[in-house]
Amino acid sequence: MAISFDKVTYTYQPNTPFKSRALFDIDLDVADGSFTALVGHTGSGKSTLLQHLNALLLPTSGTVTVDETVIKPTSKGKEIKPVRQKVGVVFQFPETQLFDETVLKDVAFGPQNFGVSKEDAQAIAREKLNLVGISDELFERSPFELSGGQMRRVAIAGILAMNPSVLVLDEPTAGLDPKARIDMMRLFETIHASGVTTILVTHLMDDVADYADTMYVLEKGRIVKSGKPQDLFQDVAFMTAHQLGVPKATRFALLLRERGQYFEHLPITRAALVEMIKEAANHG
Amino acid sequence: MDKLIIGRYIPGNSMIHRLDPRSKLLAMFAFVFIIFLANDAVGYGILTVFTFLGVALSRIKLSYFLKGLRPMLGLILFTVIFQMLFTTGGEVLFQIWFLKITTYSLQNAFYIFMRFVLIIFMSTLLTLTTPPLTLADGIETGLAPLKKIKVPVHEIGLMLSISLRFIPTLMDDTTMIMNAQKSRGMDFGEGNLVQKVKSVIPILIPLFVSSFRRADDLAIAMESRGYQGGEGRSKYRVLKWQRFDTLLLLSLVIVAAILVAWNMLK
Repeated sequence: MAISFDKVTYTYQPNTPFKSRALFDIDLDVADGSFTALVGHTGSGKSTLLQHLNALLLPTSGTVTVDETVIKPTSKGKEIKPVRQKVGVVFQFPETQLFDETVLKDVAFGPQNFGVSKEDAQAIAREKLNLVGISDELFERSPFELSGGQMRRVAIAGILAMNPSVLVLDEPTAGLDPKARIDMMRLFETIHASGVTTILVTHLMDDVADYADTMYVLEKGRIVKSGKPQDLFQDVAFMTAHQLGVPKATRFALLLRERGQYFEHLPITRAALVEMIKEAANHG
Repeated sequence: MDKLIIGRYIPGNSMIHRLDPRSKLLAMFAFVFIIFLANDAVGYGILTVFTFLGVALSRIKLSYFLKGLRPMLGLILFTVIFQMLFTTGGEVLFQIWFLKITTYSLQNAFYIFMRFVLIIFMSTLLTLTTPPLTLADGIETGLAPLKKIKVPVHEIGLMLSISLRFIPTLMDDTTMIMNAQKSRGMDFGEGNLVQKVKSVIPILIPLFVSSFRRADDLAIAMESRGYQGGEGRSKYRVLKWQRFDTLLLLSLVIVAAILVAWNMLK
């Protein structure tokens, strides 16, 4: 399912002394089935933009089109609700949204809000909990008894249970240990492979390089660059100047290049780097 | 919640901004009493001039004050209309059944209206020009004499400044949790009363849970930084009483004196 932004601007608290403009003329296209990364420095407007994706914020001007639904500054609640189901958002630290008595009920909460019967919702919940790696014996526990990592998985299952066709992830791995981070990113990759359009908001360039096929760079509420990660990371000076940096593999390749190793393109993933070094070694 | 102006602080460097919070609090407190000294147009006229002088000195746009008034408008109108319909005496201007509007009731309604507006303006002025933490400091030092009768003044002050500091954080948390539940298909403010009350649960529980967790973390962080209670602590933010603070209180005394004199002369 495709999403497109057409000249979207957003101002917080207009007409008050506290007003601040967060987005300026955003044009953005998320193709069906793509893995899009939104990157930018803290305060660049990433989170504001993300809240437009499922109409938690309505644009001050411009339009957001999600599938056939056009979200305008004047859109009403009823027109928006279907968008909420199609676009599932995993907010930062999603474990804070858990509230129900048991893990299972909490996960079933989402689908039930969209009219799925209790039994069906719980069946979906079981399936999604297994998918994120929560075993059956935890289903009847209180979500507050779980460890931090498990709570996050349950929260993510709660989003997946709505069967969204677009999954938006706002720094999903923040505060996780390295292994949990890799596991979680692999999980999202699997979900993406099953045909879910994925939008990842992050400031980890390694994740962008490893998983995304399109990226947008935001700065001070504007999109300053967009394209394929392979192309964007070639311009190391630009990425460093915007305080984003480049993936580790790219940085390493750059150091090698400074010492006289020739690369046609800078690699952005570790696998690509290894490949290029091997090739260089074979050619002597 | 974005529309609430009362309780917000707008940074600035006007004369009013630089006043000592103690004098501002005291003045605000005194003003509430002084307002009852006014009982005719001249009295309210003097107080209005005094209030607007304060607003002008703060260099904050009048429109913000008017916006601060808006959420209270319902309450004010409710009281004013009651006053209008149920005050007896004076010349009857208009009557339906037992409800009558008289010259007296109109006058009374107007005074009540002015009282509300002036008090709201003054308290908005106080919060718009005083950073919350300074305000808490002011309250703490203002309550200091109560230590003698074993009121835990330091603890009250500490709780006050911690709660003030966490109001915006909790508001952010609330918006965040609301957004998260909304994107899971939760509808707020729809359906009948039972459904409306039920829809609060998915917000309240996470909010309480995160507050407990935050309180734990904060307490541990405070202890590990050597906090042991109010005894033997020094102060980083020291309040300074300046000439203008004395002037402010003096001007209030003068206003009160004028009002008393005017009442006696009549």
